[in-house]
Amino acid sequence: MSSTASNIVTSPARQNRVTLRKTVVSCLALTIALLLSIVLMSLIGSEQLPARASLCALASFGTSSCGLTRDQFDILFQIRLPRILLAAAVGGSLATAGAAYQALLRNPLAEPYLLGISNGAAVGTMIALIFFGASEWTRPFLAFTGALLATLAVYRLARGRAGATPERLVLAGVIVTTFLSSVIVFVTTLMDATRIRSFTFWLLGDLSGTSRTLLPVAITITIVGALALTLNARSLNLLMLGERDAFDLGVEVGRVRVVVFVVASLLVGSSVAASGSVGYVGLVVPHLARLSLGSDNRISIPAAALGGALFVIVADTVARTIIAPRELPVGAITALIGAPLFIYLLKRA
Amino acid sequence: MSLPAHVDRVISLAPNLTEIVFAVGGGNRLVGRTSYCDYPPEAKAVAEIGDTLHPSLERIIALRPQVVLISTASQLEIFTQQLQNQNIAVFVTDPHDLTGVFRSIGQVGEILGQQQQATLVVQKLRDRTNAVEQAVKQKPLVRVFYQLSAEPLYTAGHDAFVTDLIRRAGAISVTAAVPGAWPKYSNESALAAKPEAIILPTGGSMGAGNSNVTEALRQSPAALAGRVYKINDDHLVRPGPRAVDGLEEMAKALHPDAFDK
Amino acid sequence: MIFSVARRKPGKPLMLEARDLSVSYDHRIAVANVSLTLNAAEITAIIGPNGAGKSTLLRALNGQIKPASGVILLDGQPLERLNRRSISRRVAVVAQEAELRFPVTVLEFVLGGRFAWATNAGWGWETERDLRVAEAVLQETELTELSGRLMNELSGGERQRALMARALATEAPILLLDEPTANLDLSHQATLLSLVRNRCDRDQSAALVVTHDINLASQFADNILLMKDGRTFTSGTPEEVLKPQILEEVFEVKVLVDAHPVTGGPRVTPVHEPHRHS
Repeated sequence: MSSTASNIVTSPARQNRVTLRKTVVSCLALTIALLLSIVLMSLIGSEQLPARASLCALASFGTSSCGLTRDQFDILFQIRLPRILLAAAVGGSLATAGAAYQALLRNPLAEPYLLGISNGAAVGTMIALIFFGASEWTRPFLAFTGALLATLAVYRLARGRAGATPERLVLAGVIVTTFLSSVIVFVTTLMDATRIRSFTFWLLGDLSGTSRTLLPVAITITIVGALALTLNARSLNLLMLGERDAFDLGVEVGRVRVVVFVVASLLVGSSVAASGSVGYVGLVVPHLARLSLGSDNRISIPAAALGGALFVIVADTVARTIIAPRELPVGAITALIGAPLFIYLLKRA
Repeated sequence: MSLPAHVDRVISLAPNLTEIVFAVGGGNRLVGRTSYCDYPPEAKAVAEIGDTLHPSLERIIALRPQVVLISTASQLEIFTQQLQNQNIAVFVTDPHDLTGVFRSIGQVGEILGQQQQATLVVQKLRDRTNAVEQAVKQKPLVRVFYQLSAEPLYTAGHDAFVTDLIRRAGAISVTAAVPGAWPKYSNESALAAKPEAIILPTGGSMGAGNSNVTEALRQSPAALAGRVYKINDDHLVRPGPRAVDGLEEMAKALHPDAFDK
Repeated sequence: MIFSVARRKPGKPLMLEARDLSVSYDHRIAVANVSLTLNAAEITAIIGPNGAGKSTLLRALNGQIKPASGVILLDGQPLERLNRRSISRRVAVVAQEAELRFPVTVLEFVLGGRFAWATNAGWGWETERDLRVAEAVLQETELTELSGRLMNELSGGERQRALMARALATEAPILLLDEPTANLDLSHQATLLSLVRNRCDRDQSAALVVTHDINLASQFADNILLMKDGRTFTSGTPEEVLKPQILEEVFEVKVLVDAHPVTGGPRVTPVHEPHRHS
């Protein structure tokens, strides 16, 4: 071993690599930030709640009311906390799906909305609402189906001679998105005027729907989906550099592609079924994660999941307090924050 | 734009205006209506020209109306310009409260040369309104939540027509001060408002929709006391003659003891 | 057309063998009835005109394209029976680099070559051994100084070396190289193939190089396979294959073949006749 070998051992390249330790530390920090935000944002809302008593009640996990009135307790635990948890699930799902698409399609602009997946899920949800309105479970199920069908449509459209290149995929996605948008508009015009208003609001992202049964489902799907995608992170790292290269180096490209498409459809489907299309989360959060922590998916996918949860919790808090007691759709806020942020990121790149 | 002396052909672009045209006796001169104009039943025989948001300019012109009645609540400002370009007289009326409705009825009566009938109609409506207001005058005001849609939660704001009706029915809408006509409302604030009664507009154009109280209000004093009243939504949101029906229905529901004979 | 296996050093193991291989690509037959063997410590070059099927053949050998007929044996086992990772541990490919859209350092890039050795498919962290292998190949390809730089910051020649380093990092005994010197200047061309030569000599690796550069093939290859229209035209040592009448028939151009003044091997020079105006 010559002296150059010992230089390598202490080289900055080696140190700056993503390691298990770095990943654990970053994820721990983000988890703590997430938990803090859950607690803090539950103190904020259109109705004033006493801070100390609320914190005490939260700390007791709802077993003790700590002096809160019945109504205050209900507001905190029946309305605000479930909504914040739903925001976390939706944000985590959409950001993770976005990160996975960006890696698989080798395109930093790939995003569930742009690819038509969100609209596919929205159409599925609308069908569920119109034809099976009473049954809650049909919504996430049909949303998942819609998302998967949209994914397949995009993929078939994009398949050219050289396979489905990232450019063709995004182009096909735009076609599918705009087509499905027209379908959605068409269906809304068939509704009467009163329902149009609430549908339009929902389409822009509405976290105010309280579903006791579907919330745990949404949270579970977020966690399971993020885990499933993180477990393929090393394959995605190679896929990000080129499908052929990844194949040569031992990645089972077809299998990973199927996993990403199915899991991402599940994540997008469950989010859209619960809250409509919340845009920009799948675009901006993974970008931020990669900018600050590197492109290695082993760290950027879990970071995107946690960061996405954080982002939507904060955006939703703004949406439900800024013109209180009225509310804005959370998608409007994520767009307002996300679009300028995205322009800034584009300029830096 | 000046009106011809005798108007034979009129088109209505809003359901409440169709009802007013028929109420003043001008129904036989109505040559066009929107697909939402479903009352009175005779209106359904009139030709359709589209819905309130996107009526067909071609169809309207083809029907050769002399006047087109528009409610600005249907967002037709651009449309109005196009009609005037075609030398079709446009009459815009957008009543925000019951007094405005009475005025509109009078105006439509004038346009159609049915002033006498219009005056009669208005008088009767006024009498009924006064009767209601008298009956509930001494009663304590009931705090009411008007639920337009459960999920997402929409209610009636300051500018909504029904807010005036609620006031006249001897109640106070807990969202009367909220800016706008139909704001999307926070679940928390709805819960904190603790309304004593809940109005569910349903059964008319809404069909079977909106027949359940929203989750956040399931434990409200109104829900627990069973004071949830379903009223035909067409009686509450159309600023026309039937609004007085809606007023009576609400008042009777909120203050049943004021109407026992 | 079946031909005999070219000069094979006695006692060297047979590593990758293709028997009567036909491969279709793009709805036409790109490779027809080709057989070849790759032996340890040998470099085999495949040359031929454009469209001869050279790259398609290479892609079939690493399992990317399924052959229409024929069989490929890797260490005696049929290729289609092996899973992706076990193939990647035995066969490494150096091809043209895809456009990199995400920032990645040279070290991270080279470490990608260790994927096939990961204990968990798709997850897991690089081991100490992985790092040592990466560092050794970075030294071998003289990229140590650049290991912390982003791949996008490297010159064309440096990137090609990084591709080579990644392939070497897989520790695969069989190397398939598709036009590895295409974008390299003179100094780098020789360096790259010297690397391959060293590997073959030192570790008994086998290498297959698809190239346009006949003289490079002549200098470095032990065997040459000359292809035309998807078929094997002939094969053998450089002396046996690089004969004027053979080359003229395949490339349809007049050539001059003489002995290289330094190496003594065949040196091919195309002769361009000036265009005559009548």
